[in-house]
Order: sequence, then structure tokens, then C-alpha cells
Amino acid sequence: MRIACPFCGERELGEFTYLGDAAPKRPMAFAADGAEQPEAQDLFFDYVYLRDNVAGDMTERWYHGGGCRSWLTVTRNTTTHEIKAVHAAPGAGAQKRTKAGATS
Amino acid sequence: MAEYSWEVRSPLRNAFAPGRLGLASGDAGIALAEISDFSLVQVMARRGQVANVAKAAKKAWGVLPPEKPAAVVGKDATLIWTGPDQFFVLTAGSVPDPVPPLAVIFGGAASLSDQSGGRCLIRLSGSKVREALAKVSSVDLHDTVFPVGAAAATSIDHTGVNLWRGPDAADGHPAYSLLVFTSFADSLWHTLADAAAEYGVEATRTPLS
Repeated sequence: MRIACPFCGERELGEFTYLGDAAPKRPMAFAADGAEQPEAQDLFFDYVYLRDNVAGDMTERWYHGGGCRSWLTVTRNTTTHEIKAVHAAPGAGAQKRTKAGATS
Repeated sequence: MAEYSWEVRSPLRNAFAPGRLGLASGDAGIALAEISDFSLVQVMARRGQVANVAKAAKKAWGVLPPEKPAAVVGKDATLIWTGPDQFFVLTAGSVPDPVPPLAVIFGGAASLSDQSGGRCLIRLSGSKVREALAKVSSVDLHDTVFPVGAAAATSIDHTGVNLWRGPDAADGHPAYSLLVFTSFADSLWHTLADAAAEYGVEATRTPLS
């Protein structure tokens, strides 16, 4: 499996490490007025522990630690390992988006 | 305040042996060199300051910093891409603290970190250099893909390196430079020497010019 880093170009899997599902979003523990959310505990349990076992396209976070040290958002088919899209993760230090796999 | 007397030692002091390695007959296919006496500073543009960093670099060295994996040779410095919005400034000569002059150049637009003592600079050239590097690197080094001035942040032998192709050597063969963390330098040197041994290696040590 090879991943086309948007900054470095296509590289071997060994340069990357896998974080996991990019979908979970950290829930708010408190409402805007500072009141504790009664459902927060359930939401956090879901956020921390519960994961979908996707067969098909999944959006994931990968880290290019053996290269440019950028966090990437990768859309990968979990049954075929086909990679459909790679983008810089938001806030990864990049000031602008670079086309996937662009080296020039 | 305590006085320190720093002893400058090569990170390759255990691995390096000058002269011929591997195949002993004929011309050495690989020239393997430790490059010493350099200053290296990591420059990282602060948020929203990329344009100002580029402007400052252009004023200081006459070239724009690389926006893609590339090594740009400017006046008195080589700027080597290390990641989005960040690059190394490599200059000849070892100085106690290379950061203050760069802090003047960049003002508050970039974060600076001295890496001079943290990295080892190794240069490979020769008629068989591509064959030797191909054994250990997954980056395509063909002329059409990796011409003079190309750079890559990649891994060799599970070790992160900054690899770039500088101007060709005097004999016309391609020359590749790589920066590696000093604590991994011995190990990487052995890996490179082993990969190159079958072509004959001439190992030297030379200051950056």
C-alpha cells in the first residue's frame, strides 16, 4: 500500500502511522451558558470508545512521521485498501491545501 | 556563571574510517563523505506569516524558500524544504549560535531552532551512487523525477532523513546530500557503506564549502 502525501508525493506505507477514524468529533461537556450537559457522559463514552467497523470507504487520520510530519486525512476502502483521496488535515500547519500527490 | 569548554566531536567518530571500503579493485563507484563545519537552523513560518518569511529570505539570500520538496541554493546559504511552511537554512562554517542573525532576518515571522549539533551531513556521489541509494531508499531518484535541486523528507532504513540532490560533482556524477539525526548517524553510515560496498567506496571527511 502506498499513500500519496499531498506535500511529498507517493510514499511507502512504512513512512506513515495510523491514528484511526477521522469521523468522531469531541462533544461539548458544557453548554454555551456553562451548564453541564446531562447527556455529556454518554456522548464522551461514544467519542472515546465506540467505533464503527466499516466495510468500505472510511475517512481516516494518518501521520507522515517518516517524511514531512504532517497529519493527513485519507479516504480508504477497508476491504480493498484502495485510497481514494488524501488531504492535509485541518490545522496541520499547512497554510493552504495542496493537491493530492502533487510534487511539482 | 560556569564556563563551558565544548569539545567538537564528529557524530560518526565510531563508524567513520577514511579510505577504501568494499570492492578494492578499479575506480570507487561511490564517494561517501561526512561534511563537517556547517550551521543548520530550522525555520518554521508562524501562522499567516508565510509571505513575510518568503520576503525576508529573498532579501537575505536572494532566493525564495522552497514551497515544494526542493533545495534552493542562495547567496551564502542553501534552503532545504522539510515540510509545509518550514525549511532548513544550511550555511558553511560552524558558529557558536547561528540563531541571532536569523532572528534579525525573520523578525517575528518565523520560529527558529538551531540544529547544527543535532544533525549529521553525509554526501554521496559517484558513478554508482543511484544504484547504491536505490537499495535503501524508496524515493525514485531518476533524473526526470529527482533532478538537481530536488529534495525529499523521507526514511532510509527506518530513519528519518532530509535528502536532496545538489549540483553535480566535478566528475559529472550526481551528488546527493542527506541530513540525519546525529544519534542515528553511525547506523545510517553503516547502512550506506554496506549498500555501496559492492561498487567500491572512497570515504572522506570534508568541511562544507
